[in-house]
Amino acid sequence: MDPKVKIKVQKGFSHVGLIIASAFFIVPFIWMVSTSLKPITQVFSNPPEWIPKPFQWSSYLDAMDYIPFFTYLDNTVVITLLSTFGVVLSCPLVAYSFAKLEWKGRNVIFFITIAVMMIPGQVTMIPLFLIFNEIGWVGTNLPLIVPAFFGVPFYIFLLRQFFLGLPDTLRDAAKIDGASEFRIYWQIMLPLAKPAVLAVGLFQFMASWTDFIGPLLYLTDETQYTLSLGLQQFQTQMGTEWGLMMAVSTMMTVPIIILFFFLQKTFIKGIKFSGIK
Amino acid sequence: MKIRGKKVSIFNLTLFLIFSLVLTACSPEESSGGGNAEGTTEITFWHGATDISLQALKKMVAAFEEKNPDIKVKMVYTEASEGADQKLLTAVAGGNPPDVALFDRFKVGTWAAQDALTDLTDMAAADDITEDIYYPYAWEEANYQGKLYGLPYTTDSRMLYYNKDHFEEAGLDPENPPKTVQELEAAAEKLTKKDGSRFKQIGFIPWYGQGWLYGWGWSFGGEFYNKETGEVTANDPKIVEALTWMADVAQKFGVEDIAGFESSAGSGAMDPFISGQISMKVDGNWTISAIEKYKPDLNYGVTPIPTPTGTDFTTWSGGHAVIIPKGAKNVEAAWEFVKFFGTEEGQEVYFAELPGDLSVIPTVNEKLGRGDNPMLKQFIDILPNSHSRPVIPEGQLMWNELVDARENTVRGKGTAQENLDKATEAVTKALEKYK
Amino acid sequence: MAEVTKGTRIQPSVGVKQKKLSTKSNLHGWLFASPWIIGLLVFFAFPLIASIYFSFTSYSILQPGEFVGFQNYHELFKDDLFWKSIYNTIYFTIFFVPLSIIFGVALAMMLNMKVKGMGIYRTIFFLPTLVPHVALAVLWMWLLNPGFGLINGILDMIGLQVPNWLGSETWSKPSLILMSLWGIGQSVIIYLAGLNDIPEEFYEAAEVDGANWWQKTRHVTLPLLTPVIFFNLVMGAIGAFQQFTLPYTMTQGQGTPANSLTFYVMHLYDNAFKFFKMGYASAMAWILFIIIMSLTAVIFMTSNRWVHYQGK
Repeated sequence: MDPKVKIKVQKGFSHVGLIIASAFFIVPFIWMVSTSLKPITQVFSNPPEWIPKPFQWSSYLDAMDYIPFFTYLDNTVVITLLSTFGVVLSCPLVAYSFAKLEWKGRNVIFFITIAVMMIPGQVTMIPLFLIFNEIGWVGTNLPLIVPAFFGVPFYIFLLRQFFLGLPDTLRDAAKIDGASEFRIYWQIMLPLAKPAVLAVGLFQFMASWTDFIGPLLYLTDETQYTLSLGLQQFQTQMGTEWGLMMAVSTMMTVPIIILFFFLQKTFIKGIKFSGIK
Repeated sequence: MKIRGKKVSIFNLTLFLIFSLVLTACSPEESSGGGNAEGTTEITFWHGATDISLQALKKMVAAFEEKNPDIKVKMVYTEASEGADQKLLTAVAGGNPPDVALFDRFKVGTWAAQDALTDLTDMAAADDITEDIYYPYAWEEANYQGKLYGLPYTTDSRMLYYNKDHFEEAGLDPENPPKTVQELEAAAEKLTKKDGSRFKQIGFIPWYGQGWLYGWGWSFGGEFYNKETGEVTANDPKIVEALTWMADVAQKFGVEDIAGFESSAGSGAMDPFISGQISMKVDGNWTISAIEKYKPDLNYGVTPIPTPTGTDFTTWSGGHAVIIPKGAKNVEAAWEFVKFFGTEEGQEVYFAELPGDLSVIPTVNEKLGRGDNPMLKQFIDILPNSHSRPVIPEGQLMWNELVDARENTVRGKGTAQENLDKATEAVTKALEKYK
Repeated sequence: MAEVTKGTRIQPSVGVKQKKLSTKSNLHGWLFASPWIIGLLVFFAFPLIASIYFSFTSYSILQPGEFVGFQNYHELFKDDLFWKSIYNTIYFTIFFVPLSIIFGVALAMMLNMKVKGMGIYRTIFFLPTLVPHVALAVLWMWLLNPGFGLINGILDMIGLQVPNWLGSETWSKPSLILMSLWGIGQSVIIYLAGLNDIPEEFYEAAEVDGANWWQKTRHVTLPLLTPVIFFNLVMGAIGAFQQFTLPYTMTQGQGTPANSLTFYVMHLYDNAFKFFKMGYASAMAWILFIIIMSLTAVIFMTSNRWVHYQGK
């Protein structure tokens, strides 16, 4: 077959495959958006209706009225940005030391890092709360931000895997040139791990953005509350206000989708080491 | 790495932005517990109210503040179920609880046994608040081992809802709903339309909605707990009879098919009674408001939960209490608030805003004309005969054990007797450590 | 855990590293890791040690309780629901983790093709992770509704017997597994980042050798993706054993039908926060720890046979 035609056929098949798979994955999102635009009686109509009739935009305005949307948004943004920043700052550094530096006790500490993830948070929650209570941070957003600056085991492990995959030759060459260890990390290794670091940043952003139990336990004043606590308020005595809840949920996804869209662009098939080798 | 020059500037910009955020946003705000210069006391009040309940609560708080100018109430929403429990629990454990909280009465026994609630007995006695003004079961549920741990404020009850249109269609008299369980079963058969393993319409599922074993056990004349001896009696022959009957019904209609129907049925607008998929169900008075909201033209009626004899109708009730957690800073001011909310004055303001809800004080329901709504009236009329779940330290365990016993029995895993014996034994054993 | 360090195994070509760890090297290592070491001491050490201690007491959160020795552990082995929840959890893990890896890698490879509109496809696969759990749960119930659910409608059309999904003890766990696959967007991102790290030269070299698509996948892509697959395997297992939010939300904490969706941490949670048996729950947590730890140890031990780090 003519190679050009072959490529076209291949791409055609790819699209078909992608579209079929997409159909399964887009359902929850479509449902969320369509629910946010439906009148309450239509949400669970039988048989299901996917397209709102008529489109009802009022849920968005009502939702922002129902909860102090902008206050919650402000609080959420502050917590999310700071904790994401903390994670992106600390985790690659620690991961790098696990992957590329040789030091006594490294394996033991790495082992502990994996091990701490195996104990369910439900049993460590209370003692952890007591620590924050002791230092007077309950009632502030500090317990939701500060720990991120000290590293999160999940991300440390993930980034370690990526650093392990980077060739040592780069590092050795830089060392011969007399570069300091920190310089090697900051100027050579970190930029190479950028996609992974960005992914970690995105994960933390999402985790923090949607965290419910943390803000619930540590915040004690409604003026400090976050959007995820706001979402909860759409569950009323008479059932859930699906339209309003999905309106806020939809609005909450917008920044993440934008972030994701830019992030995924950095995942381009095949990294080129040739320029630096 | 030729790209670095450009990236760094964006990176620096982000850094700058984030640091400026740290500076502006991180300063913890000290909440002003206790009093301030003018001699007013601020009490913190944790609640899970949203929507119209929240509006009612705010009105009530305003009325209280007007009457007690020296006390300010700071309301904090803390979710309404699991999350609220966790928050309150950690706060009490940390020695930093709110002054007042709303709380499912069902949990009073457990929390009181854990010494997590302030004993209100003496304060209530000093202020002449006695059980006389409340429905007996509600007062009982706020007491543990002879001491008062909260004032009840809401209540509810459970009845049989039935779809009149379905009745007519099936040739049943819509004005003469079933009174005995036999009649109920017969009606259910007539109302059920099955197509293969799928229900087009289902007559009745005993445990659907609020058809808990507690309700059926009491309706069959059983008793779950002996208050005098402190014995768990979940395997009372009458309760065994009730559960056996539930299992029979399950077998008749195919339990997996029922469960398939049930697991996908939701609440609110998705409720199958509202959408006409189920003809009869046991549910609470709040369903009246839900029907009004989601399907106002539904042609339905309510009747007491049928009993084996067709007489001695009963029901069971839950509801909330206002409590003061152990370790609260301003117990005196908190009590003033609890007292206001838990007695006629606060109740009237609060329930005036919530036409579908019931007060624990009969005179308040009367004064607010709750009985004028013919549906709601039935729920009120049965309240004097209502039951509340036993106030024991292992109330939640007992609840879970009863749910498991029901689930296993209707699925044919062991007989009602076996499963209830097991539940009784488990709860009895757990209670031992409190003796 | 010598295997762990495989990737940085001293290579003959890098003679510099063969000497003993210098003080300087130690210092750098500790310095770089110091935030996390401090974090471990401040935020993890006390809660973990406390929970070990609690597991030997009748601690109830509100009451310190008494020291009871191994009583909690003893009682656990007699707790039917404990065994049931272990069974459910292992069932879920055994099916979900491999499936999520297979689908995750396959999706990531699809999403790494050079076709138009890839950014949009990638976003679509990521979207379900943005929908709140309550909404996912109710949507799933709605889709599986035996009466008018979309999924049954499709199965009906092709003439298949429709199971009762969440109402059936046999089908409830498969339903949950299927539903959980909606959430693999995160691991797909990790795989994408992993694919991104595979040097283009390797493919070019393979093409010169006349390798077809399958050979390239088999001999270049998959081996070089193993560090990331390894990560997702370990974290997938840890996560699956701690499965909680979704089944809890979906069954209102009851694990219905007939406890077929009562997972280990759900049982733990009920004991800790509903029955006030935090001591017992802590014992459960440490048993879970031993189970996951053994499994992870096995994964780590076999890893030098199948995980290939290209870093040399």
